[in-house]
This record gives sequence, C-alpha cells and structure tokens, in this order.
Amino acid sequence: MTSNGTRWALTGAATVTALGVGRVVARRRRRHQPEREGGWYVVNRGITVDRPVDAVIGFWTDRERLDRALAEWATLEQLADNRWRCVARDPAGGGTEWRAEITVDGPRRLSWRVTDGPAQEGHVELVPAPQDRGTEIRAELRWRSGPVRRALGLTTGSDPDLGLRDALRRIKSLIECGQMIDTRRDPSGRSPAQEKATDKVREKLMSGGRA
Amino acid sequence: MRALCWEGVGKLAVRDVPEPTIRADRDIVVKVRASSVCGSDLHLINGYLPAMREGDILGHEFMGEVVETGPGVQRLKVGDRVVVGSVVACGGCWYCRTEQYSLCDNSNPQPVMAEKLWGHSPAGILGYSHAAGGYSGSHAEYIRVPFGDVGAFKVPDGVPDDAVVFASDAMPTGWMGADFCDLKGGEVVAVWGAGGVGQMAARAAQLLGAERVIVIDRLPERLGTASERLGVETINYAETDVLEALREMTAGRGPDACIEAVGMESHDVGPIYAYDKAKQTARMQTDRPTSVRQAIMAARKGGTVSIVGVYGGLVDKFPLGAAMNKALVLRMGQMHAQRYIPMLLDRIAAGEIDPGYLATHPMSLEDGARGYEIFEKKEDGCLRTVLHPQAA
Ligand SMILES: NC(=O)c1ccc[n+]([C@@H]2O[C@H](COP(=O)([O-])OP(=O)(O)OC[C@H]3O[C@@H](n4cnc5c(N)ncnc54)[C@H](O)[C@@H]3O)[C@@H](O)[C@H]2O)c1
Ligand SMILES: [Zn+2]
Ligand SMILES: [Zn+2]
Repeated sequence: MTSNGTRWALTGAATVTALGVGRVVARRRRRHQPEREGGWYVVNRGITVDRPVDAVIGFWTDRERLDRALAEWATLEQLADNRWRCVARDPAGGGTEWRAEITVDGPRRLSWRVTDGPAQEGHVELVPAPQDRGTEIRAELRWRSGPVRRALGLTTGSDPDLGLRDALRRIKSLIECGQMIDTRRDPSGRSPAQEKATDKVREKLMSGGRA
Repeated sequence: MRALCWEGVGKLAVRDVPEPTIRADRDIVVKVRASSVCGSDLHLINGYLPAMREGDILGHEFMGEVVETGPGVQRLKVGDRVVVGSVVACGGCWYCRTEQYSLCDNSNPQPVMAEKLWGHSPAGILGYSHAAGGYSGSHAEYIRVPFGDVGAFKVPDGVPDDAVVFASDAMPTGWMGADFCDLKGGEVVAVWGAGGVGQMAARAAQLLGAERVIVIDRLPERLGTASERLGVETINYAETDVLEALREMTAGRGPDACIEAVGMESHDVGPIYAYDKAKQTARMQTDRPTSVRQAIMAARKGGTVSIVGVYGGLVDKFPLGAAMNKALVLRMGQMHAQRYIPMLLDRIAAGEIDPGYLATHPMSLEDGARGYEIFEKKEDGCLRTVLHPQAA
C-alpha cells in the first residue's frame, strides 16, 4: 500500500470508527425503512468538505492528530496492512469493538467490511465538488440484521443510517475546524434531573443531522 | 457564578450555576462586563422560538475581558478587552471562508430541528436556545466562547463598555440590513422598528449614502430619540397611514429600500394560526409579519426589501404578488457578525457611530428579570437594558 493509500485507509477507518459510535448513540431512533437489496439494507449519504481532495486525504496523515480527534469516541489500531480494530466508547459505559477490513479500490475510493461485529460493509468515494466547493464525500453503507440485532429490536435497521450521517458530519467538522462542537455540560441553572431530561432533547437534536 | 436563566414562558430568575471552563483548544472564557438585552430574546422568553429548556442562560450581545484561553487560541490573550459576536462561526467552512458567518456549517451541534423546519441549519448562536446549538448565554459572570479567535475582537481603549457592547449584535445587524440595500448614494430608505437594531440600521443607511432615512414605529420616545440622535424623519404608524405617508414623502415613488427591523412579534395583528408538521415538531407559533407586508407594499418598483427582524416559521398573507410584479429584491438573514465588527469598531473609534445612547437602562445582573420587563414594555423610554454581571 502506498503511503497515500495508508492515509486514505485511515479516512475509512475513521469513518468506520465514527460509525460505531453513531450507531451506539442513535440506536433507539426510528425512521422510514431504508431500501433493501438482496437482503441488505442500503443507504447513500454525502457531505461536502471545503477542502481539495488531496487535503481531505492528507488530513489523516498525522496519526497523532487523528487519535486526538477521535479520542472522545474511540481508539483505533492498525492490525495489518488492511485490517483495523476500533473500540467505540459507548456513552452509557463500556465499549463496542469492531474489526474491519479496508481495501483501497482506487485513488479516491475505498471500501470496508466489518469482519467481527454486525454484518456491515460500505464504500466511500471522494469527488471534487463543483465551483471551488471542495470535496464531496460520498458514502454507501450496507447492513444486514443478524439474530442478535433482531433480538435487540434493531431489525428496522434505520440506525446505521443516522450513524453514517453523524460520522460524515463529524469528519467534515474535524477537517474544517479541528473539532466537533459540544455544548452538553455547558453551565445552566438546571437540576441534575432537569439536565438529564435536557440531554435527551439534545440527543434528538444532534443525532442524524442531514449529511 | 450567578446567571440569568429562563424558567418557562415569560419567567426569568437569577440562579447559581457552575462556571464555564475551556472545553476545546480554540475556546476562550470571557468575564462578562456588559451584556445587553435584545429584541430576539423576547421571542425566546415568550416562547415564539422553540427549544428553550428550563435553566438555559440567556444573553448573546456582550463584551468583557478574556480570562482564559485554550492552547489553540493565537490572536487573543488573557486580559484583552473584547466584544464577542453573537453568532458562533468556525472560521474554516465554505460559509465562513466567504464571510457568511451566520451560515457556518459546523457551529450548531444540534442541527436537527433547524433542518426539519428550514431544510438546513444555519450557525449556532450563543444563548439562543437548543435549536441554535444549546450554548449558554452571556447574562452570567463568565461565558465560554468557542472559536475565540474568530468570534471575539479586541476593542479600542477609551470606548465605554456600554457603547462597545452593541458592536456584538445591534450594530452588525443594523449594518447588514443597510448593506443589503446596495446603496449607491442619494436613496430614500425606510426603516421599520426604532429599537436598537432599527436605529443602527438607520445610521448605517446614512453612512452608506442614503439621502433620506425615514423611521417607522409607534413609540414616540423611540421616534424622538431617532430624530434627535440621527436626524432621521419619522412616521408614527399608530397615528398615520404608513403607505400613504411614504408615497407622499417620496412624491409617489415609494422608498428605494425598505429595512424591516421588527420581527415576528410585529405589533397589531390578528390571531395566531396553527400549522402542521413544523409546529408539531417545534411546538412553535406562527410569526406575525405585519411590517414585512407593509415594507413590500411600500417599496418602489424594482426596490429592495431587507429583512433583519427575526422570523422563525411560516407566515400568512405574504404579498408575493406585490414582490413579484414590482420586481423587488428581497434580502434577509441572521447577521454575519464577524464580517462587520472590525469595521464597526473603527467607526465607533472614529466617532462616526455612537451607539452608547442605546444603553438607556444599565442594571445589575440581579435585576435582570426586571430589566427585561422594562425593555419588553418599553417603559421609561427604554431602548436597551444592559446588565453588569460584575457589579455588586
Ligand atoms: N438578523 C439578526 O441577526 C438579528 C440580530 C438582532 C436582532 N434581530 C431582530 O431584530 C428585531 C428588532 O430587534 P430590537 O432589539 O431592535 O427589538 P425591539 O423590541 O427593541 O424593537 C422592535 C421595535 O419594533 C416596533 N414595532 C412593532 N411592530 C411594528 C410595526 N408593525 N411597524 C413598525 N414598528 C413596529 C416596536 O414598537 C419596537 O420599537 C427583532 O426581531 C430581533 O429579533 C435580528
Ligand atoms: Zn440579538
Ligand atoms: Zn464555519
């Protein structure tokens, strides 16, 4: 793998990682049924990042920066050339572990497959946006509902979609301004019980946003 | 620390709350010295804009002193006296790069309601409900300001706190309202609303070349202040037929540009109607657009209507036919604070604009609830109440 390829793969790994978190945060949300194709749910989402394609790939060169950026949500570990392990922090405590295989399919396209965890695969493509608008990150995500997910009541399966949109928004924000704004725990005159109720509202307002 | 919190529709109280801390590299913490009320707060307090939660700290027009900076802050240091734009902007997205700061892509971490209501989410705004990001506001002893280098500006020595505070919101809003009119010199500009925003819009229109500025309101004290301070003409809409008066004052043409600085609580209208989905999601009421309607009817053919009064949802009886057939230019938006503040500070320092007269009611933070009452009822000639959280 070229070093550009490695960097690029890191983008994918970060997407997968962020996805893991999105999934955990968003798991109780319900929306309309996504498309189904041969037993797989499929969604396509895109977001525009105000940087040239090379910069979007290059952002991930700095492994330290990446780890710092992801610190709040997950840790990322490269197991082999194309194999990655990520542990997403669950806000409710504990973590969700993923192993994924990431393949660079071309200079601007990569795909991944979760090898150990929920049945999920996807690909990301970077397309220069028109009119000096930077780069379009276009992602397709496919997943299946396994027996475990069914038992957990996750069969409608719209949550990975919300997770994908969160992940794209997060990646855009990290590249464009180095952080993801968080206003939870900002000062307020709320009692702990009121704060908890407000956190629920915040979660609804945060989760899924357009991508 | 002490902070003025929203406790439910129409209810405010000062409470003890935790102090803010640096949470991200680019944050600063500002010790608030002056924090003004704004017409926009009334929409929140009265429940016209959705998503306030009990305990939210209000306030978004303020200035103070930097007391802490994150490691990523370069332009500011502890001790700097700064004014902070109400709008939060990241400085790194396409909208920020093109100086459309109030449309920043990355500063509203809670965009879902805005996206449902409006299709996309604009920038977050400090102290402006959970639909605008859920940021704590400035009616407090301290406030965390994200992206400090982008949003906070050092203010010139010698300009009093109670004047420079308006460079945070009322001035850039008024300036943008006039900027939208694309004045070339010699125009007649009409301004609806003689509040802080309308007054600053009127002054901006003069500085940008308008030959005549006509301010419309029903409050004699405010109209009086506008004519004394700015030398504008005035119309009292409670006593005069505004459309008739404007036509007559312009020998039949109508104003070249109309600036609407009133907003959704525009006075003297009928019932509030329900509307479907957005209302369900938002528990929101319909806006009252009297002054917008009037501005559209008044504007000359091919003229501009510039809306800086805040609207949140759907309006009824919008005279689209008048706008279409008269080929009007409609401009509107939340203000791009960061684009205008440096220029406005220069103009304050040069004496071209003196916004200090807006601070009619300086008060302590503890008197905040009363301060809003005076402002809302426009008692005692109140233009703006300015709270001083550091005062005893
Ligand atoms: N676009 C922005 O970024 C931005 C920023 C700040 C404030 N605002 C908005 O600007 C508006 C004005 O703010 P303000 O602080 O000056 O408020 P304010 O309440 O002090 O002033 C509003 C004025 O409008 C007058 N008014 C009411 N109905 C009228 C009518 N039908 N015709 C003419 N005048 C009428 C009132 O008498 C009052 O004097 C508000 O809607 C506020 O939310 C927008
Ligand atoms: Zn305001
Ligand atoms: Zn931005």
